[in-house]
Amino acid sequence: MTALADLSLTEAAEAVRTGQATSLELLDACWANIDKANPTLNATIWLDRPQAEADARAADLAVRDKRPLGKLHGVPMAHKDMYYQAGRLSTAGSALRRDWRPAITGTAVARMAAEGAYVFGGLNMAEFAQNPTGHNKTFGDCHNPWNPPYITGGSSSGSGAAVAARMTFAALGSDTGGSIRLPAAACGVTGIKPTQTRVSRYGAMPLSFTHDNVGPLCRSARDCARVMSVIAGYDPMDPTSAREPVPDYEAALTGDLKGLRIGVPETYFLDGADAPVVAAMEAALKVLEGRGASVTRMTLPLMDAVATYGSIVSRVEAATIHAQWMRDDPQAYGQHISGRMYPGYAIPAPYYVEALSRRGPVLRAFAAEVFGAVDVLVTPTIASVLPTLADTDIDHGPAGTEHRFMAVSANTRPFNYLGLPAVSVNCGFDPNGCPIGLQIAGRPFAEGRVLQVADAYQRDTDWHTRKPGVLS
Amino acid sequence: MDDFPAATEAAIHRWFGIEPPNDPGRRMAADLVRTIAAFEKLRGTLVFEDEPSSFESALQATKESAP
Repeated sequence: MTALADLSLTEAAEAVRTGQATSLELLDACWANIDKANPTLNATIWLDRPQAEADARAADLAVRDKRPLGKLHGVPMAHKDMYYQAGRLSTAGSALRRDWRPAITGTAVARMAAEGAYVFGGLNMAEFAQNPTGHNKTFGDCHNPWNPPYITGGSSSGSGAAVAARMTFAALGSDTGGSIRLPAAACGVTGIKPTQTRVSRYGAMPLSFTHDNVGPLCRSARDCARVMSVIAGYDPMDPTSAREPVPDYEAALTGDLKGLRIGVPETYFLDGADAPVVAAMEAALKVLEGRGASVTRMTLPLMDAVATYGSIVSRVEAATIHAQWMRDDPQAYGQHISGRMYPGYAIPAPYYVEALSRRGPVLRAFAAEVFGAVDVLVTPTIASVLPTLADTDIDHGPAGTEHRFMAVSANTRPFNYLGLPAVSVNCGFDPNGCPIGLQIAGRPFAEGRVLQVADAYQRDTDWHTRKPGVLS
Repeated sequence: MDDFPAATEAAIHRWFGIEPPNDPGRRMAADLVRTIAAFEKLRGTLVFEDEPSSFESALQATKESAP
């Protein structure tokens, strides 16, 4: 059974389509790993096995009856517990929504269901998607599958841990400052933050109107390409989604990087980087060069503006959304959640408007200088080796812990303000046995390109196929 | 700047009716002096005609035409 759970998402869909495995067998395989790993990881908030078994049987019946099958037919999944499904629990990881059941279903989940996937649970997450570590006051901290005292990354903590531990074939995460890429990096899986506007946000819990993104965490770039081909594209229910045509992302995965120009920032992204992280990135660059890419070291423009404006936008928008609860029930939040939001109320409106107003011009200037010279940027996803949950616990740690906490997302936040697509892949392990993430970012709507680079890297390496110790 | 934390807390209370939720909140609010300093460094870069809607056009103008 467990071997079935080792299949990638695309392999699992193919196994169901060709009759090599049933959807019910895939579900059983996921459940065996849930039983084995979840007591250590705490990656789930709720599970609904009866409904999942009914969905699996329906999927198997469709195969037997030779009905048309979708790209994800019969694949069981669980998602970050902030994707609305009508009538089902959606806690957002918070006591404030412990029993909340929405009346609508989000577009990303609906589109995957239309292609044959079904949902068996809601995954642990930072409260209201607001931390980069995986701490959670209400549902308990999520633990790293490779070394449980260490952070999973957040805010899609359960998504990263569950995909790594073969509890699900894929999981949706959300990314406002790195919340897909950080758990992908920390848990050793592949996750993509799409271009801003690329994927509909209808039916996804909001955090920052300007920076929120919906995207998948999977075990490979090819799996991410499959999910992106299903969820990307204009949605009339989300007028902010782009009317940009959706290319065939899987077709772009050729393995050929001849002529690809890679830029490696010498500043900001490597500030304070730990030696094992830098070494893993340099080794990864050699692999990419072996596929035909060239590497240019460069200094990125406008990083002070990107960091400052991005921080202002995120803090003001989160504070605005949560104002009523912050007035009425502030102690319902973890201290690090309410504590981070609180300063957002003191940022003057002209600061916020200027930060928004500068976003377009900053992107234009950044893209002209950077993407005139290179096709993609490669950086560490997290510059340091992973910290422990204890080292980043603001609620119980000493003053100053917040700086270690915020440092975790320093390399991911810039691409949210810039709105650029970025993928994180595993490129090795640190001395504590925790994964190291490689971030690949590209121009707007270059999801195909960054996935192509990630896939090429995974053709020559096996980091993404390794199984965490929690399963041994 | 010595009274900055108290002034900030008073302003938030006045404008939003929200109290400091805990010590981390107080520390992070006091840390806004760094945000102000960072913002001061960027002064003079905003163009009068800049508006938020230009971000979507910037995405289109800078996108990759073909993978």
